[in-house]
Amino acid sequence: MRNLFTYIFSLVGLFAFSQNKQILYGFDDIPQSLMLNPGSEVTQKKHYGIPFLSQIHFNGGSSGVSAYDIFKDGNDNINDRITRQLFKMKHTDFFTATQQLELINFGWRAKNDIYFSGGIYQEFDFIIYFPKDLAVLAWEGNKDYLDYPFDFGEISTTGDFMTVYHFGLNKQISDKLTVGGRLKLYSSMFSYRSVNNTGSFVTRLGDNDSENIYEHIVQDADVSVQTSGYASLRDLDGASQVTSEILGRAFFGGNIGVGVDLGFTYDINEALTLSASALDVGAIFHSKDVESYRAHGTYTLDGINLIFPPLNEGDSTLPYYDDLEDEIEREIPIDTLHNSYTQFRPTKLNAGLSFGFGRFNSAGDCDCLNMGGGKLHKQNVGLQFYAMFRPKGAQMAGTLFYHRRITDYLSAKATYTVDSYSFSNVGLGVSTDIGKLNFYLAADNLIRYGNLAKAKSVSLQLGFNIIIDEE
Amino acid sequence: MNKTLSRSIIMVCACLFLTACIKDTDFDQAEDIALTPVVELDLIYFNLDASQFYDTINSNPVLTVTDTTEIKFLDDSTLQESLKRAEFYFKFTNGIPRNFQVDFQFLNEANDTTYVAGTSVSEGLPTAPVITEYIENVEGDDILRLTQANKVVVSVTIASSEENLEGILNLKSKTTYFLEY
Repeated sequence: MRNLFTYIFSLVGLFAFSQNKQILYGFDDIPQSLMLNPGSEVTQKKHYGIPFLSQIHFNGGSSGVSAYDIFKDGNDNINDRITRQLFKMKHTDFFTATQQLELINFGWRAKNDIYFSGGIYQEFDFIIYFPKDLAVLAWEGNKDYLDYPFDFGEISTTGDFMTVYHFGLNKQISDKLTVGGRLKLYSSMFSYRSVNNTGSFVTRLGDNDSENIYEHIVQDADVSVQTSGYASLRDLDGASQVTSEILGRAFFGGNIGVGVDLGFTYDINEALTLSASALDVGAIFHSKDVESYRAHGTYTLDGINLIFPPLNEGDSTLPYYDDLEDEIEREIPIDTLHNSYTQFRPTKLNAGLSFGFGRFNSAGDCDCLNMGGGKLHKQNVGLQFYAMFRPKGAQMAGTLFYHRRITDYLSAKATYTVDSYSFSNVGLGVSTDIGKLNFYLAADNLIRYGNLAKAKSVSLQLGFNIIIDEE
Repeated sequence: MNKTLSRSIIMVCACLFLTACIKDTDFDQAEDIALTPVVELDLIYFNLDASQFYDTINSNPVLTVTDTTEIKFLDDSTLQESLKRAEFYFKFTNGIPRNFQVDFQFLNEANDTTYVAGTSVSEGLPTAPVITEYIENVEGDDILRLTQANKVVVSVTIASSEENLEGILNLKSKTTYFLEY
């Protein structure tokens, strides 16, 4: 148990925000911005991501606590700090980790002026809400919490490991409007979820009519964990067998899902541009290697009732303890189920309103980067909105941004984001073209880079592409 | 100007990423993390009728009745390591007009006695039961002896008994486990 707490709090130091890529969104100089809005204005003729290097994305977050809050140097006791944070955090606080690795990414503008793009990426996504009641029960016990119902409903966690195959279309359909869509096929390698749990555990002081001093009551419990891709791993021997089995599912060897990304960009006038996208509107259908566990029922524990039966010499005593265990298993059975289930992907929404000024004209009169037909501005300022649908509701973020095309080989975007984690998240992204080679790097929470331990979230994306502009 | 600006931005980025660090923290403190829950849990309860202390078939008093139950979690290795103190609370409500001696004998797997506790219970009346409370605090080396046990034998001895003795001896009990992980 102590190790569990250590791991959880250590993870805080390593992980940070959900899947918001506020710097990359609308950063049209980077081909991967198409992955955030399939309807963005594409400025290049072709792009090829360098395999395995075109996008390395990592982010994670903790909405309620930072590693510094727990592990800071100080004279006070770490356990007092944990106690303080425990009571400060809410059951809606969460820890998340997301990692994506693009294996392939490519795109080209066809003769009909449609920009086709596709690729494969691997994604790991994990969230656990802070089960405050159960943490308090584990940390402090029930002595000071008589009559307090510890809520099982606070248990809410999901985890997914999958490969995504995608192909998208993007077309400017009028002077003002560009639309796009992307079809995604998900190949789930491993997945688990425990959501929509109910029930409570309470210890009550009994009255004169009670059987014993206390009544320990599990009330209307219904707690379940659904897994897919887990049952077959149990019999494997060692990490290498497990790894090769999981990776073997990457090419549609596991459970399959389907989804779409949709988006548009609309130039309201020469300066103002509105854009929006919905990503991962879809579901994964888990039918292979599915195993779910469900515990449900109501039970009151009073202790062991001795009846002092008259026994003869050599008679064995009554199996009170075994009977009690059997009774608990009967009243709160743990069922193992193999039913298929459908898991909706956590849909992400992005929207942006951008005000551009200053015409970008990198080399005399030639508008070299302006292949999409739109007007590139030297500078843009604007607002962005992000929402991601999680088990306990949407995680939202608002961003102010400033984007500047500095030279024909360098552009940068700075962001200020308010989200579930903090009100002081400043991010910076840079995209640079060295010949046809494009490199980009985007990171947020820069103020915290001086001491990452204080960061409740960190997001990092970087990658290499080959971009071919029209001759 | 652009060159200066772009250089500045690259420099700032480089500085930020190269100087990113974790400081003013001491992750070795993880060693000091200790969960110290205090758990309240019911133990045993019974209602002994005065008639259980007289054998009507043979017309003999039965001065001692005993019963045994396993407490399997007590000698669990996790509990052995983490239990720092245990406080047993016994509440007798005696409606039988006799004093009692109640003994708790903790036995290990091989039925060797590892820990004993006991108390006397004051007499009462069926119409006016008397409450006797008894607290047994176990800590230090006694914890080791207690957590060797996985069953408890409860012996209830009546001072004297007769056929028409009436009343009920009730026991309610709980244990407070002071744990440290």
